[in-house]
Amino acid sequence: MTVLEVSDLRRSFGGIHAVQGVSFSLDEQEILGIIGPNGSGKSTLFNLLTGLVRPGSGEVRLHGRDITGWKPHRIARAGMGRTFQIPALFVNMTVQENLFAAVVEGDWKSARQRTGQVLDLMTLGDLRNELASTLSGGQQRLLEFARVLMRDPQVILLDEVTAGVHPTLRQVILDAITRLRSEGRSFLVIEHDMELVRAVCERVIVMDAGQVVAQGSFDEIAADKSVVEAYLGVPAK
Amino acid sequence: MSRVGGLVPGNRWQWASLLVFVLVVLAVPFWTDDYWTRIFTGVAMWSALAMSWNVMGGYAGYISFGQAAFFGIGAYTTALLMQKGQDWNFFATLPVGAVLAGILAVIVGWPVLKLRGAYFAIATWAMAEAFLQIATAAGFTGGSSGLTLPINASTSFFYYAMLIPAIVTFAVCWLLLERSRFGYRVKAVRDHEPAAESIGIDTTRVKIQAFAFSAVIPGVFGGIYAYWITFINPTSVLADDITDQMVVMALVGGLGRIWGPVLGATLLYLVNRQFIASFGDTTAYIAAVGAIVALIVLFLPDGLVSLFSRGRRMALSRQLLVRLLPGRNGTTGRGGRL
Amino acid sequence: MTLFIQTMVNGLLVGGLFVTISIGFSLAFGVLDVVDFAVGEWVMLGAFAGVASTAWFGIDPIAFLPVVFVFFALLGWLLSPLIYRVRTSHYARPALMALAFTFGIATLARGSMLTAVGFDPRTVDIGVMNGTVTIGSLHIPALRLLGFVFAAVATALFMLFLYRTRTGLAARAVAQDKEYAGLMGVNVKRVSSLVYALYAGLTAMAGVLIGAIYSITAQDGPLYTLLAFFVVVLGGLGSIGGALVAGLLLGILQALVTVYVSADYTLAVVFGVLFLVLVISPRGLLRRGLA
Repeated sequence: MTVLEVSDLRRSFGGIHAVQGVSFSLDEQEILGIIGPNGSGKSTLFNLLTGLVRPGSGEVRLHGRDITGWKPHRIARAGMGRTFQIPALFVNMTVQENLFAAVVEGDWKSARQRTGQVLDLMTLGDLRNELASTLSGGQQRLLEFARVLMRDPQVILLDEVTAGVHPTLRQVILDAITRLRSEGRSFLVIEHDMELVRAVCERVIVMDAGQVVAQGSFDEIAADKSVVEAYLGVPAK
Repeated sequence: MSRVGGLVPGNRWQWASLLVFVLVVLAVPFWTDDYWTRIFTGVAMWSALAMSWNVMGGYAGYISFGQAAFFGIGAYTTALLMQKGQDWNFFATLPVGAVLAGILAVIVGWPVLKLRGAYFAIATWAMAEAFLQIATAAGFTGGSSGLTLPINASTSFFYYAMLIPAIVTFAVCWLLLERSRFGYRVKAVRDHEPAAESIGIDTTRVKIQAFAFSAVIPGVFGGIYAYWITFINPTSVLADDITDQMVVMALVGGLGRIWGPVLGATLLYLVNRQFIASFGDTTAYIAAVGAIVALIVLFLPDGLVSLFSRGRRMALSRQLLVRLLPGRNGTTGRGGRL
Repeated sequence: MTLFIQTMVNGLLVGGLFVTISIGFSLAFGVLDVVDFAVGEWVMLGAFAGVASTAWFGIDPIAFLPVVFVFFALLGWLLSPLIYRVRTSHYARPALMALAFTFGIATLARGSMLTAVGFDPRTVDIGVMNGTVTIGSLHIPALRLLGFVFAAVATALFMLFLYRTRTGLAARAVAQDKEYAGLMGVNVKRVSSLVYALYAGLTAMAGVLIGAIYSITAQDGPLYTLLAFFVVVLGGLGSIGGALVAGLLLGILQALVTVYVSADYTLAVVFGVLFLVLVISPRGLLRRGLA
């Protein structure tokens, strides 16, 4: 069953065509990887999907509903969660407060209980009263991921969620992803770590200069010449 | 609950000292003379005003330079309604001024709060200046000659008229900002707006609500102030200086903390009175205020309140050391949109 | 009809000075990422420097302009690193704090001047220029013409610097994208200081002329800050071309309101227009600015 459908999404900023006609779909319990060189439009794509940026044209459907042009908070309430390329924590709040804040527009009554669960899942329990600004980079990414989980979204967008994260903590995230997938959720994952992509993503989309240049399983796209070109900028031999 | 929240008494001794403090404050007109009662009246008013600014500046992260407009609306509403011919009861005028101020906040805030913080600062400032001009030029406000209100000579009446609302304001702020969902919403907007949106918070609506709340408070106190000083004109209730004072008091005391503005207001109001006593006017005070703001931003950005918490004292010393060491070159650290 | 044209011309001429101020201000914003609340104070201080040039030194203010430029550029050069440090701090709410900082500096300047010279208005005395130039049926105050010429020259030089020198290129690069500029080897902090210094010096010089055309009081800083904001918002924050158009527009608007309505309502009108622009087109009339 398709949970997310993107049709011919486009967005330009002045003369820069950040996203040019991107189309793909995401199925239930699927982990879709998005890779591509820097500046290929991956984060812009996320911003378009989550409503932070208005599309110039094109359509986005979540669970069949047309959410194109919706405000970000509306899309979030419809069941989409995301992390940011640079961890977007509430730095003047504690870890626990960050998580409480996540359900302020949701199930507030069970906030405390849910927080406990999520903290345990992400092994952050001991840090619950620490200010978010004092966490290490890896812990911050964990916290951001935890915050996304608090809302129990069906579709989760992860933007380089393991970048710069210590291998042990990385494993925590990976385990969480697999477990959540089995519970019925779907993931869209921007990554630069190819090992991770190969290990976790069933399908991969390759972006370059705002367009999708290849789609398929990891092995398929690894063998694809246009992918190599996109990354290296030179024709493949 | 959280250590980041307001200073809530933890043990019996703290509760006892808080109680004593409250009793002392409530009994002021009985143990001191008129002069000091008036001083404390001023402190109460400015504490509340600084708190109102703090709601937007410290908790929502949006600097408003328009508070004077709301204060002035409250003052002129009460003044006009208490003129001969209208003869309203003083207490009845206050809600009117408050509501009008709130409405203005929503009208101005709704388009402007969708934009960056800098635009908000500019627009609110322009709004305040425009109001000042209109009040000076318009006829029904008495123009630059101002308005006179019925006289009430009771110092203690005004002390309680300022104090009770100030205490209520403090309590409401505390409940709303440190003990409710609204507090989380507002702080999320301050700390990272896109992230707040991504967890379902309607940031524009939260900002407008915070702005309206921060407008209603000066709306009330403007009215009380007008009755207190008996005579108002545009400069006395709509000038820049009023907003500037609130900004400084909240900054010096501590942004985003519930006790910060009270501390800042007390300290700076006393300093202000001292300058007047020593120099006759406040020009030197203005310069001092500017210098204080600059220094606070550079060396004590979390305000005086941060000196009261050991954790923050340590973080502060660490930061000071980092700051005094040769800075790194070329780091951008954008640190949030302006 | 002649009155109308006369007013338009008068407004346009003064608008030139607004342009000079706003272009520097806009670039400073682009480079430092801070809205400088002290911009009006630079104008005020420059105007008083112009007053001092005749009153203390007996030098013609025009001849004194380079001194004004150097003095205030130096002040800006010294101040800029502090602003930069606050703005790039990883500590507490840098954007807000930077705004508060410039606000503090502005208040300090205003309070100091008020204490020093009081509330009385003063005028910069450019004696040689007190006449009127007659072109057709228009009588143009020589001072305004001078102001416009100065503004045109100063703006042209500034643009030359921006578009024809390497440092100017670096400045534009930093204004566009600090991170990449830094990665390309641009000393962001140094460029920021330079831009801020130039902007301060330029604005102060414009202040001398404004102090000649209008009088100046120590309290006028916030007024000019507001007007600079107006120009920059109308033209689009960060857009130089926008500042150009909007500066002239402000001059015209202000002249029209003074003549046809009342000088008392200029600020109210300015705010009204500002508000409308923010509601309808937050990126400025030309939609070139950053929203």
